[in-house]
Amino acid sequence: MRSLLLISALSALSLPLLAQQRDEKPAWSLDIDKVEVVTDRHIKDIGVQKVVMDTVTLHDNIALSLADILTQNSTVFIKSYGRATLSTASFRGTSASHTQVLWNGMKLNSPMLGMTDFSMIPAYFIDNASLYFGASSAGIAGGGLGGAVSLSTRPTDERGFGLQFIQGIGWFTTFDEYLRFTYADEHWQVSTRAVYSDSRNDFKYTNYRKKTNMVFDEYGRVVSFDYPVERNKCGDFHDLHLLQEIYYNSGTGHRVGLAAWYVNSRRGIPMLNVDYRNGADYRNRQNEQTFRGILSWDMIRGSLKVGAKAGYIHTSLGYDYSRATGGGVWSQMTRSRSYVNTVYAAANAEYYIGRKWLFTADVTLHQNFVESRDRNIIRQDGNRAVIGYDKARIELSGYVSAKWMPAERFGISVSLRDDFYGTEFTPIIPAAFIDWVISKRGNVVMKASVSRNYRYPTLNDLYFLPGGNAALRPERGFTYDGGISFRAGGERFSTGGEVTAYDSYIKDWICWLPTAKGFWSPVNIKEVHSYGIEAKADISWRFARDWRLRLDGNYAWTPSINRGDPTNWADESIGKQLVYIPRHSAAVTGRLDWRSWSLTYKWCWYGERYTTSSNETATRFDRLGPYFMSDLSLEKRFAFRRASLSFKGVVNNLFNEEYESVLSRPMPRLNCEFFIEICPKFKSGHRNDR
Amino acid sequence: MTLRRALHTVLTLFAAACCVSCMDFGPAPEEKFDFAGRGVFIVNEGNFNYGNASLSYYDPDTKKIENGIFARSNGIPLGDVAQSMTIYDGRGYIVVNNSGVIFVIDLATFRIIGTIDGLTSPRYICFYDEHRAYVTDLYDTRITKFDPATLKITGHIETGYDSTERIVAYDRFLLVACWSYNDKIIVIDTDDDTVCDTISVGIQPSSLVLDRNGKIWVLTDGGYEGSPYGYTAPALYRIDAATRRLEKEFTFALGDSATDLQIDANGETLYFIRNDVWRMSVDADRLPDEPFIRSDGAVYYGLGIDPVTSEIYLSDAVDYMQAGTIARYSPTGELLDRFRAGITPNSFAFK
Repeated sequence: MRSLLLISALSALSLPLLAQQRDEKPAWSLDIDKVEVVTDRHIKDIGVQKVVMDTVTLHDNIALSLADILTQNSTVFIKSYGRATLSTASFRGTSASHTQVLWNGMKLNSPMLGMTDFSMIPAYFIDNASLYFGASSAGIAGGGLGGAVSLSTRPTDERGFGLQFIQGIGWFTTFDEYLRFTYADEHWQVSTRAVYSDSRNDFKYTNYRKKTNMVFDEYGRVVSFDYPVERNKCGDFHDLHLLQEIYYNSGTGHRVGLAAWYVNSRRGIPMLNVDYRNGADYRNRQNEQTFRGILSWDMIRGSLKVGAKAGYIHTSLGYDYSRATGGGVWSQMTRSRSYVNTVYAAANAEYYIGRKWLFTADVTLHQNFVESRDRNIIRQDGNRAVIGYDKARIELSGYVSAKWMPAERFGISVSLRDDFYGTEFTPIIPAAFIDWVISKRGNVVMKASVSRNYRYPTLNDLYFLPGGNAALRPERGFTYDGGISFRAGGERFSTGGEVTAYDSYIKDWICWLPTAKGFWSPVNIKEVHSYGIEAKADISWRFARDWRLRLDGNYAWTPSINRGDPTNWADESIGKQLVYIPRHSAAVTGRLDWRSWSLTYKWCWYGERYTTSSNETATRFDRLGPYFMSDLSLEKRFAFRRASLSFKGVVNNLFNEEYESVLSRPMPRLNCEFFIEICPKFKSGHRNDR
Repeated sequence: MTLRRALHTVLTLFAAACCVSCMDFGPAPEEKFDFAGRGVFIVNEGNFNYGNASLSYYDPDTKKIENGIFARSNGIPLGDVAQSMTIYDGRGYIVVNNSGVIFVIDLATFRIIGTIDGLTSPRYICFYDEHRAYVTDLYDTRITKFDPATLKITGHIETGYDSTERIVAYDRFLLVACWSYNDKIIVIDTDDDTVCDTISVGIQPSSLVLDRNGKIWVLTDGGYEGSPYGYTAPALYRIDAATRRLEKEFTFALGDSATDLQIDANGETLYFIRNDVWRMSVDADRLPDEPFIRSDGAVYYGLGIDPVTSEIYLSDAVDYMQAGTIARYSPTGELLDRFRAGITPNSFAFK
């Protein structure tokens, strides 16, 4: 097979939007000399450690959030409390706030908490997800000490009208609905998507953390007891997502786009399995309304591409934790309200000089306005007051890079980024990348990168009451990595793989610790050394007519070690693995296709995780044992003249495991969901993500 | 053929991995204990929302420590945020705050004898007599009353305040500190279980004890900077329990952290944590100049005084995410022993 593919600089430079256009003569393209590169090496991605997830992976089923997709398809560790509950991503043994997440270029990380809840991102709303590991994240955002996730949507790839509807019905009174309407012509592309997920999520489980019906003998000894069969209490969820996109392509090098995403989420927060309070008398809920809108403009003139974006985010988040004390009276344990308004603006430019040089520059601005209100108290003077803060902060980030391919097989890139927050600058964030094609025959490519990075404190870190610490310093990171990848084969059999080793240090890691006054406060305390190996491989084999087998697997070895100074002589956490970070993890997805049938098997494994900083394992309550999960799905597709249909059944937790993924959080045993998909065919064609 | 063999091997290994993958979860084993005689229970509150609170038991004669005794004895974890333990009439009452439960255990076997639930966010218990015990609550305006003989809730006392914390009995009255965003000590008359009086002290009274002279000593933490309720220096107050009159006030420096007021077996020496451990006579007219036990880098979190020997037990939470350490001192300040307990040890109960 030819190892060289001729791709145009258009594909190296153009946005995903344009790459999907199927016109023979693109209406929007970069008119420069064609550049011959090996496989899919883009000059833009020299040395970048990046995993791209396409719609086939992302649109596996509508019940999945991005957290589920990342769990199965990447080495990123997702800490999840169950479906529709907080799910955070940890790259390379770092914390959730060390993962920067962008949607069409705009930050999704909460300016209050610094993290992103991936359970709030339906995978069907994302058309492309790119994961940038370590130093590579500096190219899209600062502060990604572990990495960054870039999410994007793109217009329909089919001319004319398109409609797609999926209905899912599952156990625990779960309903998932998805509707997408699309229209596209030479200039306009319109897409409207809606996802609604609704569930009682009240699965039954045997609670081995409690004993009931204890019978005592005459000496007060327990002679019999039961482990109660309980339901997951307060775990219901009702999530609505709407996404509207409109793009206009002038055909003369200009493109304008609008994307607007509305979220209305009402979720219960499940009770711990060691909570003895009655679920009916208990209210633990999180309600969120979020609007995100982005207006974008891009233009290409010769070797120059420029773009600008303006956006706005509003989030209204309410959290209520209360208990009925009788007579309609509720004791409020927590009643917090937060309102976040973010104005976003960005500009970027890319300029090619010949076929060997690319210069890029961008600047982004996020102006955050945060009002956080917690408990309502009565002051000493008898008036009421609210505990909280009301702050505004500007966050500016500037980035320049130069990329050079002096030879066909070799590329080098350097970049500089600087972040400004409030009234402070972080130090310059430099990064350097190289890649080298060792062998054209097997497309063997070696990559390496190195970067310094900084993450500044969040608004809660600085101002939360009580505990906010305005004296916090930015966290400092240094990371380098190197890897090798290959890809070979043809239509009948193809395989690929990649192995990367990395080493990174984070100093002044911000940790929230209890204080003697009974509240928690953040301090720059920890130093973490994280290193390890990430590997992935895939095989696609058409072993007989109409049969195809695909295997896709990944493995990560992730020591993430506390190297800070001991708190005192008794501190045994030094040299130990960080809490909740598995040292080993792996996942395999196998898919067998026969004509219009598909059978998919997913297997996921995490090694033992510690829940104490000293990695104690004295009792089973000190740790979480190895986690194994298997899911199975079977799909049958039908193609009719006027519509295509698909039926899909999914079995989650195939082996009916009883388990906790996070301490004291029960998880559902074997459960099923059934999906039907309908795509009417209109005169001018229909869309199909597959 | 080579390729097929390789693929076959991969598939076989994959299938084997799937079949053997079974998670380690289910009932936990139970151990038998029988610790008659003197001993110290250590309440390890654990981490909020982790459900990893635990109970340790220390034998001061043999210097032997047994950790996780509740879980090891009963096969279930103690719960989420163990707040306090009180021993009454040969039984141990462990208040597990964020589990909303009180476990009653046998003091020798550590086995559960009974449970009391139906609580919001329980904190401390005060036993008044064999049929009356009172439970304070962080987020309930009521104090819950239960009968120790039956372990049934027998009523509630509406306090009119958002939360209640430490509690002591004097004569027929209960004096209760209202800690969270408050500055009051409320007085409850046990004859009719109503609030009969309030005493104003400094911001956030966190602990209180009764001395041999019938004086109530109250320690306030002063709130925190930025609190809408106010922020003052922590202080130590002396109140005459009979007249409910504020008699003395000792003020610390603004920003100091003063917690966990305790008193010795004779009711004549006060102890508290202010980074170091300090002690002073109940008859003193001024705060001591030098600490009694220096912290030397320890993060002192809990303090207990043996009511028989007046030995001092001090807990160090270290980083709050690992087993804390306990130091045992003689009444003269000599270190007698040091050992590990559970996560965030916060208090002691003496058998």
